[in-house]
Amino acid sequence: MRFWKIFALAIAALMLSTQLAVAGPTYDRVMESKVVRVGMMTDSIPGAFFNDKNEWVGFDVDIAEEVAKRLGVDIERVQCTNRTRITFVQQGRIDMSVANMTHTRERDRVIDFSITYFFDGQKILAPVGQYTSHEDFVGKKIATMQGTTSEINIKNLLKELGDPNFEQNVISFQKESEAFQALKLGRVAGWSTDSTILLGYAAQEPGKWELVGDFISEEPYGIGLPEDDSAWRDSINFALQDMWMDGTYMEIYNKWYGPDTPYYFPMTDKIEVWP
Amino acid sequence: MFKTWISKNWVQNLILIVIFLVAVYYWGYVFEFGYKFNWSVLYTVNPTYGENLGFYLLYGLTVTLKITLVSSVVALALGTFFGLGRLSTFKPFYWVSTAYVEFFRNTPLLVQLFFWYFAMPHALPMEMRHWLFGFNYEFWCATIGLSIYTGSFMAEVIRAGIQSIDKGLLEASYSSGLNYFQIMRKIILPLAFRAIIPPLGSEFLNNMKNSSLAMVVGVADLTWQSQQIESLTFRGFEATTAATIIYLSLSLSISGILNTINARLRRTTYHQKDILSLGINLFTWPLAKTYLVIERIFSGLFPQKTEGLKLSRTQTIIKQASIWSWRVLVFLSKVFFAVVFAYGIYIMAKGLYSYNWQVIWDNLRTLLIWRFPQGRVDDIFMGLGGLSFSILMSVTAISISFFIGLIVGLGRMSKNNIFRIPCLMYIEFIRGNPLIIVIFWVYFFIPVFFNTFISVFWSATIALTIFTGAYIAEIVRGGIQNIPSGQFEAAMSTGLGYYRTMRHIVLPQALKQMIPAIVGQFIAIFKDTSLAFVIGVMELTYVAQILNNRLMIYPFEIYTTIAVLYFICCYFMSILAARLEKRLTPDKIRLRM
Repeated sequence: MRFWKIFALAIAALMLSTQLAVAGPTYDRVMESKVVRVGMMTDSIPGAFFNDKNEWVGFDVDIAEEVAKRLGVDIERVQCTNRTRITFVQQGRIDMSVANMTHTRERDRVIDFSITYFFDGQKILAPVGQYTSHEDFVGKKIATMQGTTSEINIKNLLKELGDPNFEQNVISFQKESEAFQALKLGRVAGWSTDSTILLGYAAQEPGKWELVGDFISEEPYGIGLPEDDSAWRDSINFALQDMWMDGTYMEIYNKWYGPDTPYYFPMTDKIEVWP
Repeated sequence: MFKTWISKNWVQNLILIVIFLVAVYYWGYVFEFGYKFNWSVLYTVNPTYGENLGFYLLYGLTVTLKITLVSSVVALALGTFFGLGRLSTFKPFYWVSTAYVEFFRNTPLLVQLFFWYFAMPHALPMEMRHWLFGFNYEFWCATIGLSIYTGSFMAEVIRAGIQSIDKGLLEASYSSGLNYFQIMRKIILPLAFRAIIPPLGSEFLNNMKNSSLAMVVGVADLTWQSQQIESLTFRGFEATTAATIIYLSLSLSISGILNTINARLRRTTYHQKDILSLGINLFTWPLAKTYLVIERIFSGLFPQKTEGLKLSRTQTIIKQASIWSWRVLVFLSKVFFAVVFAYGIYIMAKGLYSYNWQVIWDNLRTLLIWRFPQGRVDDIFMGLGGLSFSILMSVTAISISFFIGLIVGLGRMSKNNIFRIPCLMYIEFIRGNPLIIVIFWVYFFIPVFFNTFISVFWSATIALTIFTGAYIAEIVRGGIQNIPSGQFEAAMSTGLGYYRTMRHIVLPQALKQMIPAIVGQFIAIFKDTSLAFVIGVMELTYVAQILNNRLMIYPFEIYTTIAVLYFICCYFMSILAARLEKRLTPDKIRLRM
């Protein structure tokens, strides 16, 4: 009998303790524990990737570090992928995701976003001199990554251009590196995603790859934040705006996308600043 | 008093139901999820995309079924061919078969698929590549890759089945004047099939579950589609639950069929009139009938020659000539095979020689230990990763899962429903799903139930532990059932209780028999660590991908190297397992054909 009593008590205690462990509002928790958990990609050059010293670096990494510095907290880096970055925010596994994520309405229904911190657009990468416009890709295979806006956009584009097999002609891989390998194999005619990612990979082999056609879509990047926590969202937004106003943002930008880098991508827009 | 009550069946069932209801009540009404459920995404038309996403799962199911069926057939063919090759006395054939079996059994399927898809086409000329790409390359790459993998397991099953036949039987049939094909058809294969079919069936089941890996090369199978629904609607919990249920019902129906076949095989006569036999006979009757008809036609075409003991001169010459031409034919085909074999080795050696080994040498440290000990503060184990991480994960998982397996295996055999039913459910639920689904569950959805988060390393290790626990439980059960029941009865009647009977009599004997199987499971789990890459654990496969991502132009070198690294580890363990097996069962003779 004694065993069962202890067993029942243990179960009850376990249930109570898990009940108490429900996450509070993110802002309070971060400020109390002095640690912010940031989800970042590992496969996006030059957004966030492992360099030849196996260090995790990139534009997104620097932005996240800077935001954390301005909040006065330490950073805990969490690896995430195209598919996990939203789930993690939803579940509260991370406090923000700086993971070249486009701000869309569908996504905004489940998580919140900061103001746009980077302006990108989708393009198609292909071998030099073989294709001139989007129409050339009709009936050809195109690589992209599962769970991205690029996947939806490229299917819509092919559909509009009159490709009857647009579902089969878009091959969705799990990671950027896999899509690029498929392109190098010649398995696909082009690889379509946000142009900075494409530039990052193309720069690894200069002169072999080019971007084809105009922007397929606008891709404003936002930092993914937990739903309904306006104190937390405000502090992130203010940190981003402060970075813009005192020039730190452009410093980081030029470090990764400036004219001297292999990933040159001119800054054409401005971060929204509230007076 | 307590004992008498608890031994009643209805009390046990009642307790189970109460526990179940409490759990439902707790998670249904009391517990605050950090997540709002919305099951309707699975069966209503989604307003954003204008499609019913439930159909996605059905498309995925058809693709999974297609891959499973095609690869099963091809794998069976490969397995039979190389399984016979493992018994051949013609050395080059034996070597090729052994190399095939050992290599493909001892490297992870995931690495093989990456190799076939991303590295292999680099070796082909451009025209041939485009010719290949003209087909549905993703699908065929995954299917053939899966067949090659499963085939290597089937080859071993078939070899073991044929070897299990008594040598005397073979000698007797040879001395009664039957030729090779007759012996095979009439004596060996019918007996061997009986030994082969049960393990072969579980290979078919594994094959179905392994098809979930096709998603890494962009095939839209069931797992892929459930992930697609998640990424479109962010309803991962619902989508993965649906995929889990589909996989579970698929594997339960496959194992249902297998169990019926196994039960039928245990019957000795064909004319037993019970439902089971009738059902199976009805199902197999057309196949058996066509086979018999074809055999009759063939024996009609080539009638048994009735020749006297004394041959005329011409008859002798013809007979001699036919024997010699047959020998020459066999010799030529052997020479042909040997030439192809030598050429294959030459091509391989040339390929290996042209590799840029410097790159691998420079990055070997990264592959083995990642950035240990220069990790950042938020890295687990000071930035350890790569091969050592995989070993760490598998050793942790096997040690814990051994105890889980022991307890669950004993619980599964218990007469008390309170232990038996939950253990049974655990075993069937876990074994009915691919590991990748279990990893997703532990990583994404267990946190939903408990509102706590653990690092990727620990989630993957826990997933592997839970997964392996179910398999070890079955090994334990098999081991204990092999102990003659007289031992139980004797121990019980000398006054030992359940615990002491198990501890001193049954388990020591059973564990000794289980050791080879457990080492085999350890090899499997070590290979399965490669799957942890899907959630971003820094194990060997993931590190190799990072490396490949950075170096870009050496995929062949990198994938070959990690395949070799996995192979070395697994091969040494399998040699160990074979040694143990030999020592524990010394009276085995290699049957030669």
